[in-house]
This record gives sequence, C-alpha cells and structure tokens, in this order.
Amino acid sequence: MSAEGKKKPRYMAVFGGLAALTAIEVAVAFMGFERRATVLLLIGLAVYKALLVAMYFMHLKWETRSLKILAVAPLLPAAIMVIVVLMENF
Amino acid sequence: MEAEASRFEPATFQVNDKKLGMWIFLASEVMFFTGLIGAYIILRWGAASPWPVPGEVLNVPITAGNTFILICSSVTMVKAFAAIEEGNQKMLKVWLLATAFIGASFVGVQVYEYTELIHHGFLPSSGLYGSAFFTMTGFHGLHVTIGVLCILWVAMKAFRGSYSQADHQGVEIIGLYWHFVDLVWIILFTIVYLI
Amino acid sequence: MATMMAEPTGVPVRVEEHPQSFIRKYIFSTDHKIIGIQFLFTCLFFLLIGGLLAVMLRFQLGFPGATMPGGSLLPETMAPDGIILPEFYNSLVTMHGTFMVFFAVMPLLVGVYANYLIPVQIGTHDMAFPRLNMMSYWMFLVSGLIMLSSFWVIGGASASGWTQYAPLSASPEASGVSTGQILWIVSIAIFAFSSLLGSVNYITTIINQRAPGMTWLRLPLVIWTLFITAILGLLAIPVLTAALIMLLFDQTIGTTFFLPDTGGQPLLWQHLFWFFGHPEVYILILPGMGFVSEIIANGSRKPIFGYKSMVYAIIAIAGLGFIVWGHHMFQSGMNPALGMSFMITTLIIAVPSAIKVFNWMGTMWGGSIRFHTPFLFAVGFVMLFAIGGFSGIFMASSPVDIFIHDTYFIVAHIHYVLFGGSLFAIFGAIYYWFPKMFGRMINETAGKIHFFLTFVLFNLVFFPMHGLGMAGMMRRIYEPAQYEHLSGIQDTNTMVSWAAFGLFASGLYFMVLFFWSLFKGKPAPENPWEATTLEWTLPSPPMHGNWKELPTVYHGPYEYSHPDMEKDWLLQNERPDVVSPAHH
Repeated sequence: MSAEGKKKPRYMAVFGGLAALTAIEVAVAFMGFERRATVLLLIGLAVYKALLVAMYFMHLKWETRSLKILAVAPLLPAAIMVIVVLMENF
Repeated sequence: MEAEASRFEPATFQVNDKKLGMWIFLASEVMFFTGLIGAYIILRWGAASPWPVPGEVLNVPITAGNTFILICSSVTMVKAFAAIEEGNQKMLKVWLLATAFIGASFVGVQVYEYTELIHHGFLPSSGLYGSAFFTMTGFHGLHVTIGVLCILWVAMKAFRGSYSQADHQGVEIIGLYWHFVDLVWIILFTIVYLI
Repeated sequence: MATMMAEPTGVPVRVEEHPQSFIRKYIFSTDHKIIGIQFLFTCLFFLLIGGLLAVMLRFQLGFPGATMPGGSLLPETMAPDGIILPEFYNSLVTMHGTFMVFFAVMPLLVGVYANYLIPVQIGTHDMAFPRLNMMSYWMFLVSGLIMLSSFWVIGGASASGWTQYAPLSASPEASGVSTGQILWIVSIAIFAFSSLLGSVNYITTIINQRAPGMTWLRLPLVIWTLFITAILGLLAIPVLTAALIMLLFDQTIGTTFFLPDTGGQPLLWQHLFWFFGHPEVYILILPGMGFVSEIIANGSRKPIFGYKSMVYAIIAIAGLGFIVWGHHMFQSGMNPALGMSFMITTLIIAVPSAIKVFNWMGTMWGGSIRFHTPFLFAVGFVMLFAIGGFSGIFMASSPVDIFIHDTYFIVAHIHYVLFGGSLFAIFGAIYYWFPKMFGRMINETAGKIHFFLTFVLFNLVFFPMHGLGMAGMMRRIYEPAQYEHLSGIQDTNTMVSWAAFGLFASGLYFMVLFFWSLFKGKPAPENPWEATTLEWTLPSPPMHGNWKELPTVYHGPYEYSHPDMEKDWLLQNERPDVVSPAHH
C-alpha cells in the first residue's frame, strides 16, 4: 500500500532486537540490582520493546501524522486515570 | 460563502475505513487494558501488606519462553503481510498458518501454566495478586484466542484467493490487532512477572 | 431540490436497488436508517419501563406503606399485598437509574440519532461498517432484555444503585442479591460492547465518508456532538468494562479487587466507575446540545451564533470530562489537594457550558422565531439545562457538596440535566426528524400540548426536590418519615408523587401521539421545517442508500435568512449564486 515507504523494513532485525531485549529483561529482573533501579530499567525496556512493535510491525513509522496522533492519544487519558488514582494513595 | 472552495476535501487521515476502524478500536482496547493494568498498579501501590514476589509464585522462565513464542508469532504475521505486498500468495498462506499455530501454542503454554499454578494452590481467590494475575493474563489470553480464530479465518480467505497485491486490507488489519496483543503482552510480562 | 446542484465528482456510487425480503429489510437490516428506527422503538419501550419503575418508587415515597393500586399483580417477594418491600424499593431505584441512563437516554441520543443522522447529514450512503452496526443493535437489545429479565430471578434485580458501589455490589452477601447482580453486570458488559461497535462506526464514518465539500467546519453541530460523544464513549466505556469484569469475578470466582477485608479497595471501584461515569454524563448531554443547536437555528431563522465557539466548547467540555470525575466522590473521602483540583477543573466546565447557552440565546436574539414544537422543546432544554447547570455549581464546590450530595438535591440536579436536558432535547429531536424518518407529520397542536404538560409537570416534580434535599432527605431512601427531622416533608413528597404520576401520563400521551402519527399523520413534504442540512434534500423517508449521486456541499450548515436570497434558507448543497442569480 501507499503507506509503505520505499525501503523495506528489516523485520528480522527488529525480531532479533525484541528477543534480545526480552532476555535482558529477565536477566535484569534476577540480577538483584537496587529495587528502584530494577523497576525503572524494566519499564524502560518494556516501553522500548512496545515502541519497536508499534513502529515497525504495526507500520506506525510510515503512517501519516494524524494516524500517529490517533494511536498515541488514548495514552493521555489512560495516564491521567492511573496517575490521579495513585495520588490518592499518597 | 466561498462557493468555489467546494472541492472534495481529502479525508483527514488518508487511511481506508477498515484500517482506520481498527486503529480506533485499538484505542478503546488501550483503555480496556489500562483499566485492568491500572487497577493492578493501584492495588499493589496501595497494598497494606507486603506484595508477593512474582518470581517466587510464578514460573518466570516458562513465561519468558512463552513471550519469545509470541514475538515469533508477531514476526510471522508481519512476514505474511510482506509476502502479500509482493503478491506472493504461497508465502502468505504459509506465514498465516504459522502465525495461527504459534499463537495457539502460546495459549497452550498459558493453559499449562494455569494448571500448574492452580495445582500449587495459586488461585484467583488467592488474595489480590491472584485476583489481578488471573484477570489480566486471562483477558490477554482471551484476546490471543480470538486473534488465532481471526487469523484462521483470514487464512481460509487466503486459500480462497481473496487477497491480492493490490487489495489485502484483511491481512493488514488482523496484523494490527495481532501486534497490538503482542504489545500488551510485552507490558503485562514486565509488570506482572518481572517487577 | 436535490437535482439542482448535483455535480458528479467522481466518487463511486454504490446504491443498488434490489428487492429485499421483509426480514432482511426490516429485521436484520444493515441500513443505518432502519437500525436507527429499531433503536427508537426499543428505546421508547425501555423509556416506558424506566418511567413505570419511577411511578412505583414515587408511590412508595408519596404514600409510604400504602397498598399500591395494581400492586397485587406483583409477586410476594416484591410487594406482598401490594405494599412495596424495602428490598424491592432498592431494586426499583437501581433499575430506574439503569434503564433510564443505559437503555433509554443514551441509546436514544446515540443509537437512534447517530445512526439515523450521521450518513444523511454528512452526505453518504451508509455507515462505514453496516454489519457491525446491525450487530450493535442486536447486542443492545439482548443486553436490555437480560437486564429486564433480572426482575424475575431469585432474589430480584440488582439493588446496589445504578452506580453499583462496592462492596455492596461485589459480594453476594452484601446486598442480598446474587443472580440479579450478576445479570446486571453481564448485561452492561454486553451493552458496553454494543456501544463500542457503534463508536468505532460513527468515528470512522465521520472521518472518512463526508460528502465532497463537507469540511470539518461545515459539519452540522449535531455531527460534531455525535463525533465527540463517540470519542468519549470509545475511551470511557472500556474502563467500565474492565471494572465490570473485576466486579463480576468478585461476585463469582472469589477474587477480592473491591472487597476490603483482604486488601481490596472499594474506592478503586468508584474511581474506575466515575472515570467512565463522568464522560458518560457528557455522552448523555452533548448530542442533546447538538439537536438543540440545530432546532434553535431553524426556529430562529438565523445562522447559529458563534458556530466555531460552539465546536470549541464541545471539544473543551469533552476534554475536561476526563479530568473531573473525582467530583462525584467528594463524600467518599479523598486527598484534599486532589479534591481541590477536581473542584477547580469542574468549575471550569461552567465556561464552555455557558458559552453554549449564550450562543443559543444569541441565535434567538432578533430572529423571526417560529414556535414549532421542536423549538419549544429546545428552548425548554436551554432553560432547564441552565437550572441544572446552576445547581451543578453547588455540587462542584466540595464544601457545599459534602452537605447536599447524597440528598434529594442531587436527585433534582441530575433530573434537571438528564430529563430537563437530555430528554427534552430527545423529544425535540423526535418531533423535528419524525417527518424525515417516517414521512408523516406530528400534529403541531397535539405536540404543543405535550410540551406544556411535560414542562409544567416536570418542574412540579423536580423543583421541590431541591428543597427536600436541603431539608436533609437522603437519596434512595425508602421511608424518610422514619427520621424525626424529615417528618415534616411528607406533604411535599405526596405532591411530588402526584405530579410524577401526571408526568408519566403525559409520557403515555406522547406515546399515543407518536404511534397515532406513525399511521395517521399528515404526509410530510421533503423539507417541512425549511431547514438547511443535507437530510432535507432527500425524500421523506429517504430511500435505501440515501443518494444516487452524492451531494456536493458549498457552505456551512446554518445559512438562514441569507441577504441575497428571497427564500430564507439555503440548503448545504445549494449555491446562492445559482438559487437567485439576479441578486448576485
């Protein structure tokens, strides 16, 4: 389709990256770093993996800007909900 | 009134109906999983008693393997899409069937995991962690199951020759759904099994 | 009229006239107009059910402990000897709210008019996904019937209020209702899925299927409100679904999300529910505002005042809707800093709401007004919604809210916005689009009688409730006189109940009028209200597929009293230089 760029995405490279990051994640979880560092590292890795999937497998990288916005938009109310209710627990 | 400005305004997103509809549906799925995952985060953050250590309750190595399985199915799915983009009917069918098979294996491993956990006395009624664990992974598993059924449906259509290099929206949108389910698992795996 | 403009624009036409069997055409139809009409009949039925439940609970409040006429028809478990039991009263309150919110008002606004109006107002043949649309209707019907059936299961219908606060709703022991409670959850979960299908359909259609020339800022305001409403539903309702699933598991398989004894958080339910619930409030009012804008512009024969500010106000209301949900929970106790933030964001909503009210008044100002029935209902909406808005300011301020929340003050408030607001707009819309939907007119005099009856009785029922609330009468209470401080309000309650029976009777009058006009009304012309939007270029009722050739749109939706023209309205597909070239 027209949404596809001229260069062919290198799906196997992304796949390799995802597999490697999963291995790193499990390693990080059992390394016994300081708790807060572990959590932050794990969340960072998960977000990076999610981005890889969305950008390359779901082709978001080659979509129009408005579709990118549509894809990201629900994260805003989602974040508001979780953060505000967490504030309740302080 | 600018009567002369009455030319056809290009559709804002320049995306066809089905793909746009799928993205909109995925937006609602984001909110659905936020409801479940958010509840987990909130309950865990606010828990009065110490939270169980996931690694001691759950079998993380098996699920890490299962995560790898799901990533494989995502790559086979995207390969199916790439195949039909080049008009390769044969590889489309091969990759679709592979995706359905690998996806079904994921569900199989999950069922095995559940049986083991229940066998060891970890149930949905085992406190908050049990409640949240089974609800979140269960609904993700349900999404995977529905995805497998849809992929089989698309594969059946592929065998009937319904897709072509020019027209293969069906493959594209089921792919979007499938990758989204994979994406949710990436988040779930980290939050439920590792943190 | 439709012939005048049609300039082919190369958009593929997909109208095919082919005979369809009765079942495909009227029962399992994929035509958006038939689906809209199916929703309309179903919703009117559920509206009647909701009204009947209200009459029963008003009977208990007006005549506590008396034998209800016809009450002996009810089983022993509900009303032995025709006297309503407290347990049954709880179910009545719960199911009245549930039916009115989920099965009457919301689908009347969205199910009926989004389905019917979106394709004909934006100028397309049908919805983007007609089969999903059909599925949406049938799932809605199933969910409604499941909800209705819960009255007849053991233990009766759910009794934990339409807000289903945990732990009352989360444990079978807490409210004494088990099966009914489960059916409530299942029914609303199916309903949520149905409305999700609808939302996806509406949003896609509005983005992708607009007729040539129908730019965003030429969309009728009805379409704008329905578009924003669909987005709200899309993002808010899944959160309810997630919460319902957790609640269902709490009820059935022993999870403890909302049960405090094992560390669960009952407040989490309230947060999730109201995170859905507040956008839901706007789902329930925004389309009504769209109808009213349309009708007021038509009745005033003037372009809507401040079209763009209307659009921005709609978007602002919807956006704010996601960050104010905590104001439903001031009484549940919350971090004061958070409560303050919720209070401020809530009060800010008064700004876009006031913009809309002033724009409506600005539209009417100086217009040569035609007081047709839809216009009367629209003006009624503006007045009553304003009163509801003012009482909303009280509820928004947490120091005041703590005293009047959970009293009849809030019952008055919600009915002013939901009945005086949404339902008046719905009545207006029914009168306004009835000719287009069914090809027949509703008699104007008969319609005006309905308006005056409803307007007067509505105020008699709900205005005194402000006072009852400030006197301390709790909401959802079975027998207020058991408290000494409430012993003096029985006369008011009796009066309110009589007015409520009258209001119900005026509703019955409307139903009779509706069905009578369906068969005996005068045949309707193409454009009986001399309106400007695209649906009025079609025959009444429009044919399957709406247009043979899609119309081209040349200007905004409310071109009334154009100075260059002799007739005082200009349809969206007409060009002024073509209609009256002499003046140009």
